[in-house]
Amino acid sequence: MSAVDLARLQFAATTGIHWLFVILTMGLVPLVALMHTRAVFTRDPARRAVRERMTRFWGQLYVINYAVGIVTGLVMEFQFGLSWSGLSKFAGNVFGAPLALETLIAFFAESTFLGMWIFGWGRLHRGVHVTLIWLVALTAYASGFWILIANGFMQHPVGYAVRDGAAYLTDFAALLTNSSALVALAHITLAALTTGGVFLLGISAWHFARGTEETELFRGSLRLGTWVSMLASFFVVVIGQMQMPVIERTQPMKYAVLTDSGVAEVQRRLVAQHGPGDYVPPEGWIHLSMNTMSIIGNTVSTLTLVAVVLLWKDRLVRRRPMAYLMTAMIPFTFVASVGGWVVREVGRQPWLVYGRLTVEDALSHVSRSSLVFSCALFIAIFLALAATNWTLITRFAVRGPDATQLGATEPLPDDLPGSPGGGADDKQPVPAF
Amino acid sequence: METAWLALLGLLLAGYFVLGGYDYGAQMLHPFLGDTRAERGSGRETGRSPALEAIAPFFLGNEVWLVAFAGVLFGAFPHLEGSLLPGLYPLIVAILAGLVLGNAAVQLRGRARGARGRRCWDALIVFGGALPALCWGCVLGLLLHGVPRRPDGTFHIGPGDVLTPFVLACGVTTALLFAAHGAAFVALRSAPELAAVARRRGAGLLRAAAAMGALPLLLTLFGAGAAMTNRMTSAVLAVLLAAALAGAWWWLTRGHHVRAFTATCCATALPVLLVGAGHYPYVLISPAGTGLTLGEAVTDDATLKILSVFGVVVIPVILAYQTWSWWAFRGRTGRRHPRYF
Ligand code: HDD
Ligand code: HEM
Ligand code: HEM
Repeated sequence: MSAVDLARLQFAATTGIHWLFVILTMGLVPLVALMHTRAVFTRDPARRAVRERMTRFWGQLYVINYAVGIVTGLVMEFQFGLSWSGLSKFAGNVFGAPLALETLIAFFAESTFLGMWIFGWGRLHRGVHVTLIWLVALTAYASGFWILIANGFMQHPVGYAVRDGAAYLTDFAALLTNSSALVALAHITLAALTTGGVFLLGISAWHFARGTEETELFRGSLRLGTWVSMLASFFVVVIGQMQMPVIERTQPMKYAVLTDSGVAEVQRRLVAQHGPGDYVPPEGWIHLSMNTMSIIGNTVSTLTLVAVVLLWKDRLVRRRPMAYLMTAMIPFTFVASVGGWVVREVGRQPWLVYGRLTVEDALSHVSRSSLVFSCALFIAIFLALAATNWTLITRFAVRGPDATQLGATEPLPDDLPGSPGGGADDKQPVPAF
Repeated sequence: METAWLALLGLLLAGYFVLGGYDYGAQMLHPFLGDTRAERGSGRETGRSPALEAIAPFFLGNEVWLVAFAGVLFGAFPHLEGSLLPGLYPLIVAILAGLVLGNAAVQLRGRARGARGRRCWDALIVFGGALPALCWGCVLGLLLHGVPRRPDGTFHIGPGDVLTPFVLACGVTTALLFAAHGAAFVALRSAPELAAVARRRGAGLLRAAAAMGALPLLLTLFGAGAAMTNRMTSAVLAVLLAAALAGAWWWLTRGHHVRAFTATCCATALPVLLVGAGHYPYVLISPAGTGLTLGEAVTDDATLKILSVFGVVVIPVILAYQTWSWWAFRGRTGRRHPRYF
């Protein structure tokens, strides 16, 4: 593999894995915030206790996922500088601004507030505490917005002028209202909510199939998950279709490949515009990914619609195969969204900034051997993290709300009836209030 | 305006050194600041780590200073980033690898099922504290010494550039300093018994850091170390650094935790100031004394204006809510705290 291929592989693998965490974060956090709000506004103490446990159970799964999402994000932040310094040379004046604002506006707040939310159980005023999780949700989407503004500039550069081989920002408003970024943001938001909803739905259904005793808690989650995933997956398909006209306008080659018509003709036009070269992105990859995404999108959309109907009198979870089918949907939403990114990013080839800067020209002067090393290192670490993340999430999801550690303090010795019998399974049932 | 953004960049990096610094210190020391109750022989391993509990509520908010530093570096100084990060490639990759593992380990340690899994995470936590601390020290050393820039502005460091006495001494000093800083923080936030242990460790580490730090200083005096642009400023800053170390040691041994921690905060922030102010108006120098100036490194005016408009609003807000989070969790850790990490 050449240095360019290695740098691409490194970037694609790390963003792809980062995205697997991000999509669940973005999907779960509004739902957790919603649960927390409902808990806070419930007067009846018994129901409030259930809702609070529900928040802590899903909140813990969310926080585990967030932990790994953050560390992969840390690496992402340095990737542009490490391997694509051509990007900062050519487009740094434009491209850097959204990234800088993302860190200052979104990440700072997100991390600080999440830290406070995790450790604020029983310490902060309830109203403040619930506001914190909403702020976390808001800033998660704000970071999605800014990163897509950056990505949208790569897909469809706007609001800039080129002088002496470097781009200068001329119109910030145009940058922020880039159609390529905004439609993508809508599609991504819905994709994330679909993922979060299916996650709730699938895990709750699994617990019902296993005959859980926490019926009230899981019934609530099941309903929330089913409704959210039904609505979101319907609109994700709609917005998915709405992206096509934008692509047709901004990236004729990607459109030609997606619709399988006129590729040769567009290639001729691009050669006339930009000089000789191969402007056709890898078609096989794009078709495969696009088909995967559409098939999964339509299937999930149909199944969740059926699930909403079956919610009536708990029919959905009375029969095991149906419940397990809901659980089986979980991984597919992730597959679909990685597919979506492959369509978007691979379909942009050979450009880094569409029509302006090719990927080859953007590579840093980094030696091949150090790229081999860092690529192998990062991919190994990220895969290990992904595996750890999914193992932990599965473990805690399966154990159920009793094993939740979030928001629990250690039982004081006098709270304990006798000896706790070894620390192998450190359950901490005493909540902080 | 460029200078203001350079100052902001410095603030973010210094903030990261101060806040991330005590995280790494606590991470490195946490096996040695063990569960005091277990030591007293109740015989039961609880899996608690008081040192980690001390940093826990701030941990997520601390690490983000680095993210913000990287973001502002890319946004406001794209040309510096474009040459700095690829140039320091091996060190940056090592820092990132350490950070990723350490960060994940701190957050996931509490999820381990048994003592075995926890020990694995514990090892990673120490590693993830020590490696970034060491490598950041080396980066500082390189920046002070100057990097081998080529005429086209790019550079690459090899083993020969890092494995010099000066750079290595800077690395080790920084690691020791961070460890001492972490000890001072744990002393500040823990119950009295643990605080006493942390104090002793911290004082020892400060002596070691001072001893190690004398080496780069001597090397510089004999012309094999830092090549500073502004000699006077640098000398003053170096004296302040020494004073901060001495003050930290003095107060720590006498049990004034707040003052001691303030002093270690200064000691961790000053090296950043030394790189920034010592080389101003250069942001990156080569040993010959010339280099990339601020004006060449900064982004275009139009972009900087937009960033400034946001910055004026956002930065005070950030400082306000970070301060609020410190205030909300200012108490000493105890067993009635929600513990999660
Ligand atoms: C749960 C995930 C999910 C599902 C079910 C779908 N998508 Fe999607 N899709 C994404 C998740 C996603 C994504 C990961 O969020 C992408 C990647 C980049 C983006 O903007 O959204 C994406 C990108 C993306 C693109 C590329 C945009 C570009 O190149 O600029 C198109 C054309 C579609 N989608 C179309 C669809 C259609 C027609 C779907 C249903 C039939 C569909 N998507 C379902
Ligand atoms: C998380 C979802 C994302 C995934 C799965 C993804 C996937 C990919 C893939 C597969 C490639 C390699 C393309 C090829 O070589 O054929 C790539 C390259 C790249 N992507 Fe993304 N991408 C994502 C998001 C982003 C975002 C948000 C940005 C920018 C803000 C971005 C910037 C880049 C850059 C700079 C490259 C390298 C140059 C190139 O090969 O085109 N990516 N990405
Ligand atoms: C595909 C588009 C992307 C989206 C929607 C996205 C969104 C997010 C979100 C919501 C988080 C919060 C933590 C988490 O979810 O686990 C996050 C973390 C992070 N992301 Fe991404 N991201 C994307 C790609 C990238 C890229 C290309 C970069 C590189 C610049 C990046 C840099 C970061 C950083 C540095 C963090 C850690 C922030 C922290 O410490 O709080 N992300 N991202």
